Amino acid sequence: MVAEGALAAGCRFFAGYPITPASEIYEVMMRELPGRGGLALSAPDEISSLCYCVGASLRGLKAMTATSGPGWALMIETLQYALMTETPVVIALVQRLGPSTGGATQGAQGDIWLTEFATSGGYTIPVFSPTTATECHDLTLQAFNWAERLRTPVVLLSDKEVAMTTEVVESLAAPGIVERSKFSGPEVFRSYDFARPEEAPAFAAVGDAVKVTVTGSAHDKQGRLKKNAPEVIEVLRHLEQKVAAHAEEMEIVREDLDPGAHCLLVSYGITARAARQALATLRREGVRVSLFQPQTLFPVPRRGLARALAQVETVFVAEENLSGQYRAVLAPHLEGRRVVGINKLGAMISPSEIARAVRAAEA
Amino acid sequence: MEAGQYLDPNAKLPYCRGCGHAAVVRQLSRALERLQLSARSVALTTDIGCVGLADSLFPYLHTVHTTHGRSTAFATGLALAEVLFEHSGLKPVVMIGDGGAMIGLLHLVHAAQLNVDVTVLVHNNFLFGMTGGQHSALTPLEFVTATTPEGNYTPPLDLLALLRAAHAGFLARQYATDSDLDAVIAEAIAFPGFALVEILELCTAYGTRWNELTGSTLKEMTHLQGYAIGKLETNLDRATFRDVFRHEQHDSHPPQAGKAESAQRVEGAALAKELRLVVAGSAGERVQSSAALLTQAALACGLYVTQKNDNPVTQGSGFSLAEVCLSPRPIEYTGMEQPDVIIIASAEGLKELQANGTLGRCRAETLVILDAELEAPTLPGRVIRLPLRKNATPARAAMAGIAAWLALSPVIPAAAWEIVLAGAPEARRAESKAALEVGKELAAAWVP
Repeated sequence: MVAEGALAAGCRFFAGYPITPASEIYEVMMRELPGRGGLALSAPDEISSLCYCVGASLRGLKAMTATSGPGWALMIETLQYALMTETPVVIALVQRLGPSTGGATQGAQGDIWLTEFATSGGYTIPVFSPTTATECHDLTLQAFNWAERLRTPVVLLSDKEVAMTTEVVESLAAPGIVERSKFSGPEVFRSYDFARPEEAPAFAAVGDAVKVTVTGSAHDKQGRLKKNAPEVIEVLRHLEQKVAAHAEEMEIVREDLDPGAHCLLVSYGITARAARQALATLRREGVRVSLFQPQTLFPVPRRGLARALAQVETVFVAEENLSGQYRAVLAPHLEGRRVVGINKLGAMISPSEIARAVRAAEA
Repeated sequence: MEAGQYLDPNAKLPYCRGCGHAAVVRQLSRALERLQLSARSVALTTDIGCVGLADSLFPYLHTVHTTHGRSTAFATGLALAEVLFEHSGLKPVVMIGDGGAMIGLLHLVHAAQLNVDVTVLVHNNFLFGMTGGQHSALTPLEFVTATTPEGNYTPPLDLLALLRAAHAGFLARQYATDSDLDAVIAEAIAFPGFALVEILELCTAYGTRWNELTGSTLKEMTHLQGYAIGKLETNLDRATFRDVFRHEQHDSHPPQAGKAESAQRVEGAALAKELRLVVAGSAGERVQSSAALLTQAALACGLYVTQKNDNPVTQGSGFSLAEVCLSPRPIEYTGMEQPDVIIIASAEGLKELQANGTLGRCRAETLVILDAELEAPTLPGRVIRLPLRKNATPARAAMAGIAAWLALSPVIPAAAWEIVLAGAPEARRAESKAALEVGKELAAAWVP
């Protein structure tokens, strides 16, 4: 469904390298893209995969690759290049158990930090997290739309259990398709000349009639390598400002709030499915609890979170990793509330484990 | 395009006195003049190092200044995308050093294999100049660098020999001082597939400081390394990536809009609440594909269903497992907290269910259908032993087990199976039908 979402978004270029549990996306794109006016290619490694995608995007095509943790580790150099050169690209990252080769056929939610905190300078990489096949489709579409609109790399972060489970898909969202804003003259084109720091600059493709300058070095608005010029610092700030300014608009959350509940269950990805089931069980038992499921992991959906936190005294964060990676991300936003982590390594967290943890803490 | 429209005539070249890079930059400009290419049809893709400063010298060309060693890969991305444009003709030209050529060696090899329209100029001055003269993978033997003060002892890589093995269509090795370098570069750019020119140069900051190196000793040195000089390969017979793409595109049939058939549906599912089922067996015995047929049949009668599979890292050996949830309502958790039905078709499957804790989670309500050859574990629920492997064959044992369960608990109507089997490939259909029959017979013959 990630591949279907990409095709619906207008993806025309895919380069991939086999890796469990992301190979299915690669295979579907290899099969489907040629017949839909695009090009799909086997790259010799993950570094090349993302470089090819960025090159194709510089030529003007919507592009995507798919990988898992070990491949993502290799792509981080080029992720930063895409960020610095303001090149739209989508990376479907299907998590598996790490570190290193880890467990190829085991799920995990252990790459939150590795995904978000992967850039020198600490820039926000927009990350969307689906829990179902349907959300894989819909959020991939969103990932493309934001990549194009903000001219930045975007990650669709799923995991083995979400990506490799067959399930029923009833209806798919069809939000409008966003195209990157194209330069249309008549003034001289300057590759990184944004009107406001909160907006992406207009795009011209390498190969267009205007001269395009692309660089991963610190540069001014014209793309000239400069050392510490005020305009260079302005451009570096803009790379973050354009994402931050759209944080509220990028928020996609699912919530099931009980206004009288003092405890809030937060979960995302595969674990959110168990959390939803646990919520139903707890409520049947008379436990008052709310649920907050961020589909946009980054930028942190602060508005939705603030709404969910009203009245709340205890926050439970359920995620399939060692130390509570997203819990640590949320901590500064939880303002002194009691925070309880529900974590597990090597297997899905079950609904009864979540319900048990909530009961124990509330007793 | 007039002369001077490529290299900025007023540009001050940012290179040391005598550096070969300056000569290459001028010769590249002459090559473009020879070809009379429009400035906008060239994408100058530069690597990291002194060589990477060249993009600012060509104010009219598209320039892409990249990361170390990756210039070829980004240029390949441009060239790949280019085949989707009908009337274009963008020519990516890569400028890379000997250090970048090695860190990005894979990209060179793959670009050569693909035969994409990318031209690579490798500026080989035998060391890393920008960072202080450290030795590279292309440093000759005995050559003194900052990191080989006693002389280099690692034999240099013959880049062209390697790329010849990767089927590169155009390969040449020249000196930066060659008067015909512009003609060779022009020929490389005009070449419709992958072309690479290795240009041997002096680094006057480090190469000539630590070695007895001049224009003429450079020639002696390269002769001693056994390097062939000149145009080494021109093969226009190999299909370019564009040729291959056009050919494949011609052969592929685009999907026809509006032709997607809505899946057939039947009534008759008999399931009031969620049911969780595990099928376990051995790799290669159609465990997961049999479960997939069950999944499709459930879908055909309007149930919600999820299926997740598990196997060891290898695909064709060891256990094979499928976990299926069926429900009249949307399914949240896809795991097996408490399985309702377990079908075990082989010893490997049984062993895995013991190891992963599934059997430990059985309740009194759990039904286990077990191949009769296996020793029945002590379980709280009902265990039915059937000769699945013997009667149905090992490859049909999982399917027969599923059929036996359905005969005992008719959750899915026969009409749903008919839809699924009608859509299956001929060979699979006959085999599945046979397995379903065996399962039904076994269930009918079973006496509690």
